[in-house]
Amino acid sequence: MSGPSFRAAAGLLLALIAACRREVAEVPQPTPPPTPVPSRVVLFFPGGDGLLHGESREIAELPDAPVPRIRLLVEELAMGSQRGWAAVYPWSVTVLGAFVDGSGNAYVDLSPPPPGAVQGSAGEAALLYATVSTVVVNCPGIRRVQLLLDGQEVETLGHLDLSRPVAPRPEFVAP
Amino acid sequence: MTRSLVSLFLVVIAVAAPASVTVVGPAGSREVYARGDLVDLLDILSMAGLATNFARAAGSYTARAGEHEVQFTPGGSLAVVDGRLSALPGPLRAAEGRVLATVETANAILRPLGWSLRQSGERLELVEVTGVESLLVSQVQAAEGTLVVLRGCRQRPQVTTRADEVVLRFAAPVELAGPVAAEGALLGAALVGQELTLRLAPGLEVANTYQLDDPPRFVVRLAAKGETAPLQGRGEGPLVVLDPGHGGEDWGARGPAGELEKTITLSIARLVLAQLQAQGIAARLTREGDESLSLQDRTAMANRLRANVFVSIHANASPARAARGAETYFMSAEASDVQAAQAAAEENATTPPDTVQLILWDLAHVSNLNESARLARTIQERLNTLHDTRDRGVKQAPFVVLTGATMPAALVEVGFLSNPEEAARLSERPGQETVAAALAEAIATYLRGSSPAGGTAP
Repeated sequence: MSGPSFRAAAGLLLALIAACRREVAEVPQPTPPPTPVPSRVVLFFPGGDGLLHGESREIAELPDAPVPRIRLLVEELAMGSQRGWAAVYPWSVTVLGAFVDGSGNAYVDLSPPPPGAVQGSAGEAALLYATVSTVVVNCPGIRRVQLLLDGQEVETLGHLDLSRPVAPRPEFVAP
Repeated sequence: MTRSLVSLFLVVIAVAAPASVTVVGPAGSREVYARGDLVDLLDILSMAGLATNFARAAGSYTARAGEHEVQFTPGGSLAVVDGRLSALPGPLRAAEGRVLATVETANAILRPLGWSLRQSGERLELVEVTGVESLLVSQVQAAEGTLVVLRGCRQRPQVTTRADEVVLRFAAPVELAGPVAAEGALLGAALVGQELTLRLAPGLEVANTYQLDDPPRFVVRLAAKGETAPLQGRGEGPLVVLDPGHGGEDWGARGPAGELEKTITLSIARLVLAQLQAQGIAARLTREGDESLSLQDRTAMANRLRANVFVSIHANASPARAARGAETYFMSAEASDVQAAQAAAEENATTPPDTVQLILWDLAHVSNLNESARLARTIQERLNTLHDTRDRGVKQAPFVVLTGATMPAALVEVGFLSNPEEAARLSERPGQETVAAALAEAIATYLRGSSPAGGTAP
């Protein structure tokens, strides 16, 4: 390669490198993740008066997406009240999954209770409407909730019809 | 293009234009109105010789064959078959005073009545269902007497009693799967035609009968004469069906000292029954002993008996140990709420058809909701007068046992077994008598306030 040709090739190479550097420099840097802002949610727990009582709680990272959000809310509910209200799930429950459809219905899949764990219509109503109220109040767009046990639809635990999604009932919630 | 449009138009005309189909029945053939794959159900029922009535207020038809009846509503996809709400394979369409259905949907109504429609080339054949049920008769000893169980029985026979005999008359043919052992409560059995006669041991009589569905069986409960009230028919006055909650393997709630809800509800229901009968009010129990009975069978029994009032009696439990008091429920507006119905209708494309149909069905029975609310209020107000009972109010929730009831219905929770004090009171006779007296008085008060259309006052 002659001297002028070499200089020309080297110049072209340098120009290319410089251009590439400019390109690299112009690529926008990924936005750093926002600092998590605690979100306040309201969970509902049964009281001795037969009503559900709202309990406000801060969640460090509340997902926007409905499915992980519902799952996290029900898991918080399963941890129990911090103010001494009764347990919604009187067994060691596991949230197996959550689903939503396009009609405002959410489906919460729980590990099934052992026989006799949920007693009385008050126990069933607390289980059903605490879950329904908690999910609907804290998840925009969700209007009704259906409980599944071990991935299966259940007709009833002995009293209430669990075979379809239900909406919150204001008369079950303490004013 | 023009030729295609004309062809399409002709096809549409051919599909939509009213036509007829030849139906061959037992009394000969007839041209029956048809449109597409839909046939005139009312005409078919008429060909089968089945009595069909239209209730204008409810907007529904009732077709009957012997002990069996099917209630259906034009425009709906549900039917009440022998008192039980069931989904039809497809909707019933109303057109020009007719009720149109596919053959499959028509069969869902015809078969419980002993008839079937089947395609035979271009024609339809209307035939009587000739499937013979094979019955296995056995005896079971229960705390409340001897149960004679007819396993495999899907139909509810007409029951008549004679001296030391009970005769079961079936609407469809039956056969015995094996010999009936002449032992214990039975001296023998004889099947002649569609009548099965059970000869009873001396001193026994029929206490009650009921049908169970899973597996299908019919039960005749026998008890010593004089130890049970005679079977009551409809009579002239109103009929109250009392449902003692739970039973059999289903204990219900359990108190701290082992008190069982199923035992307490049965004791209270028996006391209410006796008090109503003492006032001349006909009443029946859904179960008279420690028997398992599905929630649907309880409602179905009240429907079949055409009861005026259905009251399910329960004792409560709560994870909140402080919970106490009585509360009364009537059917949730969940499925009956007008707004919910409208919303569901708007979302028809994404809402399962059964849900919408169920909502519409419930709306058709909205008058029962109002009466159910009055019944629940009357019960709760009376319980509130008991000095040791806390008022937890009248509420609505989707109770399975209240779903599908075709009469005013309520469920009463008389107290909490999870509360030691209330559990002790409800498990003792004086406490039960107090509650039973309040319930009987409330039911009588409710009946006195009923309009003649809703049930005559005693």
